[in-house]
Amino acid sequence: MAATALEKLATWRVRGTRASEQVVEQGIIVLEQGALKRMGDDAWAFLEQLALASLDIGRLDIADDCLEQLTEEFPGSPRVECLKGIRLEADDKPGEALNFYEAALREDDTNIALWKRQIAVLRGQGPQTIPRAVEELTRYLDTFYADVEAWIELADIYSELNLYALSLQALAHVLLLASQNPFYVLRFAETAYTAGDIPLALKTFLRVIDMDESGPSEGNATKRAWWGVKLTSSRLLSSSNASSDSQTLAPSAEHLKLLDELATERLAGSYSTTSADRQARGRDVVLAWLIGRKR
Amino acid sequence: MSSSAASLYLDPQIRDWVLFPITLVMILVGILRHYVTILLTSPPKKLSRAAIREQRALLRSQILRATSSNSPLPPSYYKSLSASLWHAFDSGTYLKDGPPKDSDAPTTPANPLTNPDQMEGMMDGMKKQLVMMVPQMVIMGFVAIKLPFPLTLGFKSMLQRGVETQDMDVRWVSSLSWYFLNFFGLNGVYRLILGNDNAADSSKDLANSSPFAAATQQQAGPQDYNKLFKAEKDNLELAEGLYSWAGKGVELRVLQKYGKVAR
Repeated sequence: MAATALEKLATWRVRGTRASEQVVEQGIIVLEQGALKRMGDDAWAFLEQLALASLDIGRLDIADDCLEQLTEEFPGSPRVECLKGIRLEADDKPGEALNFYEAALREDDTNIALWKRQIAVLRGQGPQTIPRAVEELTRYLDTFYADVEAWIELADIYSELNLYALSLQALAHVLLLASQNPFYVLRFAETAYTAGDIPLALKTFLRVIDMDESGPSEGNATKRAWWGVKLTSSRLLSSSNASSDSQTLAPSAEHLKLLDELATERLAGSYSTTSADRQARGRDVVLAWLIGRKR
Repeated sequence: MSSSAASLYLDPQIRDWVLFPITLVMILVGILRHYVTILLTSPPKKLSRAAIREQRALLRSQILRATSSNSPLPPSYYKSLSASLWHAFDSGTYLKDGPPKDSDAPTTPANPLTNPDQMEGMMDGMKKQLVMMVPQMVIMGFVAIKLPFPLTLGFKSMLQRGVETQDMDVRWVSSLSWYFLNFFGLNGVYRLILGNDNAADSSKDLANSSPFAAATQQQAGPQDYNKLFKAEKDNLELAEGLYSWAGKGVELRVLQKYGKVAR
């Protein structure tokens, strides 16, 4: 029993899966069977994983237990400091947690985990502290440029505040750092569309489709991109002024028409099924909308 | 005339006092080296926030330039990013001690002997070298073992180090050669005993064998970032010349891909 639990926990640890309830379930099995001593050095990584998972679902008792054992073994460790900070956050005392993080950062200002937790707490506290969160995050990214997750977080904050131009700038860095990921390009396109830069959005949606190398069976990002192409191309066809903040040129009217047709075909194709008894949900709505927009 | 395999009779004392001791001692010395290295190695130096920032500043422009010929960024974004990096490098914004003042005397390249951090790094390397020298014992030219399988004459020079005779069958291995075979072959045994990341691995030693290599690695440390940044400015300009947006002409490519427009 404990062996399979340990295996599952190890897989989740390696992949960074956030299956907190299951981790706690399996973790309790391991603890009850006293398998901790047998694990040797892996025991500490397991305790850290269990502590985080139990804090995630609110089992503070288990978390305290793990934390105690970890502090005993690794008194000055930065990783354990971070866990202590998260424990304070779980108590719903953001002020205390912030003080803790700031004190710890004064001692060691390069601890990435602590810095990111500080930014997360600042963001979580609401509109009052968001400017400070953004400031800290920008400073963090100035030092640790290659952190894609952090750039995405910044783009997310800006989007939430409706500052789409800044969000696009942050997403630009994401694209540079992870240029092969179609979902980030899709996000860039959708943010551009929301920002009102329709030609840029169209080009970027097309870029998602362009980068798809999976042959006849399209990737999921491509399927979403066809929606974007349909919306943007029909909009560009109907309105003659295509102002673009990024000075992107819209394709010619002929190409726009062809793109509109192509997108309609692909979307209708996605919702058509070959088997008679299974229909894609929302099929009728989609087809009606597609036909309705075709002028 | 090659002698037949049975004509050499080895004293069993050779087996007891040369063969087994060499193997046993090498295994033990390997384990000793592993633990001594662990004790001697000092933890990696902590860098301050500003130092990390300076070190990674070049990374930003390298990332930008890496994809410049088929860039995911539209022209306005690329150009503004390129320009801001260029100005930052020009004015030394990323330097950890702040932008250089013009009145400074030209900086002398940091002398590794006087820089204490560097010294530690070099000492560490040298200590590691010494530890490697521990098992270099003098080995007498005994004929140590007879291989159970025959080999061609080409192996004679490898297996009979120190006992150069023309007539002896290649199956007889000298103790010196046995030492070398052990030296290269015990990695597997070390991996079993010490786990994967052991410091007794001889394959890694050969890669860093010359003290020269260690010294040059250390000198890469306190580089003059200012000069590097200035050089990077030229690279940025070059990349901007090569720049092309991946989204250029994308509508035609997509239409062709799906057959709406003839290729």
